[in-house]
Amino acid sequence: MINNQLNILNIKLSKFFVALGLLISINTIDAAEGGPCKDYGECDEFKYSLNDMASLQRGASTFLNYCYGCHSLQYSRWGRVSTDLQIPEEIFFDNLVFDKSIKPGDLMIGSMSKEQSAQWFGVAPPDLTLVSRVRGDDWIYSYLRAYYEDSSKQYGVNNLVYPGTAMPNVLMALQGNQKLVCKDVPVIAKNGGEKRDDIGNTITKEKCGYLKVDEGSGELNKEEFDSLIYDLTNFLVYVGEPAKAQRERMGWYVIFYFLIFTALSALLYREYHKDYHK
Amino acid sequence: MSEMVGKLFGWVNSRLPVSNTFERHLSKHPVPSKVNFWYLFGALASVVLIIQIVSGIWLIMPYSNTEEEAFASIEYIMRDVDYGWVIRYMHTTGASMFFAVVYLHMFRGLLYGSYQKPKELVWIFGCTIYLAMMAEGFLGYVLPYGQMSYWGAQVIISLFGAIPYIGESLELWIRGDYYISGITVSRFFALHVVALPLVLIALVFLHLVALHEVGAGNPEGVDIEEHLDDDGVPLDSVPFFPYKVLNALVGIGVFMTVFAIIMFFFPEGGGYFIEMANFEEANPLVTPEHIAPVWYYSPYYAMLRAVPDKLGGLIVMGSAVAILFVVPWLDKSKVASIRYKGIYSKVALALFGISFITLGYLGTVSVTEVRKTMSVICTVIYFAFFLLMPIYTKYEKTLEVPKRL
Repeated sequence: MINNQLNILNIKLSKFFVALGLLISINTIDAAEGGPCKDYGECDEFKYSLNDMASLQRGASTFLNYCYGCHSLQYSRWGRVSTDLQIPEEIFFDNLVFDKSIKPGDLMIGSMSKEQSAQWFGVAPPDLTLVSRVRGDDWIYSYLRAYYEDSSKQYGVNNLVYPGTAMPNVLMALQGNQKLVCKDVPVIAKNGGEKRDDIGNTITKEKCGYLKVDEGSGELNKEEFDSLIYDLTNFLVYVGEPAKAQRERMGWYVIFYFLIFTALSALLYREYHKDYHK
Repeated sequence: MSEMVGKLFGWVNSRLPVSNTFERHLSKHPVPSKVNFWYLFGALASVVLIIQIVSGIWLIMPYSNTEEEAFASIEYIMRDVDYGWVIRYMHTTGASMFFAVVYLHMFRGLLYGSYQKPKELVWIFGCTIYLAMMAEGFLGYVLPYGQMSYWGAQVIISLFGAIPYIGESLELWIRGDYYISGITVSRFFALHVVALPLVLIALVFLHLVALHEVGAGNPEGVDIEEHLDDDGVPLDSVPFFPYKVLNALVGIGVFMTVFAIIMFFFPEGGGYFIEMANFEEANPLVTPEHIAPVWYYSPYYAMLRAVPDKLGGLIVMGSAVAILFVVPWLDKSKVASIRYKGIYSKVALALFGISFITLGYLGTVSVTEVRKTMSVICTVIYFAFFLLMPIYTKYEKTLEVPKRL
């Protein structure tokens, strides 16, 4: 009897999940129509690792050296960052905090005035505390790697993810000069395979819009630069929600507690159930 | 010692109906012995209500209801308040879960005819709770004062402006200012934390009192009061306490597990529970690319957008909620449960469910021609379900309802 009921429930639930899946898949198709990464196409996938302290520390260092000059982290406190990232306070304040009047409890409100920066850049550089939550980590990781040379722009660069961005490519010295190039790509046949001519050579077609860095123009090679941006994005994910790692750790305990709770109450229920279903 | 406790209890009991109430509403309150999982959502809704009230009280303490500090105070809660993020996510997850269980609870009502005579008032109190919840949810969503708070409020308040003659002054009266400002935030705060919770608690109390007066239903639609034992207790019933309480406890365990999974691992619910744009502070000068309500209002938002005229849309949206109140008088069926109703009712309810979910989806995405047509079709189905109910429930062939559970 109970088995039977469970079976029915099972079928109903599976129908529900099929419907849910359908809805979600419709949604992803829509997202592809005009994705958040614009001309870049699909954003590159980013997987944060908030327990990788070395990565977060490198990310914090990159942020404070390259970004913090213009972008504040106004909801975050200096001391919290040094504690969470396990950087001893002395080392942190000696090496990464350039204004010596700052105390650990102070907010990271930046050093540039909004009015002046708005004059210099046309728009004041936004606060970045919550950028990973507004834009998503995939977006940041793609955006910072999608600058290319464009002489028509004020700073000589443009961005595929954020066309017309007001920010110059601050990391250009590290990345090198990235350009939009064209290259020959295989033509894809209707069946999904590469098209070949009669002798079996792949048929190619010139396609443009690919990003390519001038060999040797930057201090870092592609892998090194990607990993620098990975760490920086990872740090911004942390700053967006400092309790995230703790949250995910704690979640398992809470779920475990409720599973035990459910099991015990089910056993107790079964015992009482015998009273009226003998 | 126990004698003293007994004496004290006796003293209280002769002045306050403690054991009377306990017996009447718990230990001797008869409930149908056979119900299914659909009958758990009422209990779950009361659990979420408690979660919302408790987490809400703790959120009030560090929250600042001013234009300058509202947004920053949320981040203060998320970062500087010990376990503030737990409290906040509990409240945001709770809001979505509240609507989820209430929608399922209402669907249960439609499924098993829980509004039929003599339960009309139970149903009406329930609909009023739903209405109050919608207002409560809307007011609460404005408080973090993010972009979606601001622009969502802008859209909703401007709806009142579509009302002829009094519209504009009504808008002004609601906002308390010529545009949404700190004044709006602080009055919404007062309504969200004091006025509406009082209304909600009073309504939930009435909902339960009315329910205990007429007795709970069951999926068979059998009237258990027809077969009583020598003491006048229905034969197909068990006392609410401890049997049904334990039953609910298992449901609560499962529900809280799901709740914890969302709260600790997917608190934003993929942008449906907390919208990404709401992590940006309200900015009256920048309209977000795409304004969408949270998922629980989206079916009505889709209806609003399906009608080209603003006032017309408002009327359709209002009627969609208002029509729920008269369901007890639209259903002319001799039987309560879908199990014994005819094929028309079954098809109608299925179509209604599908159209409501589709509307919910359409309300969250941007409008295209195809989607607009779909919204119109689904809105028509939504209303047809109710307006044709007197016809299809009256003229369909129903099955014989068993005498006992």
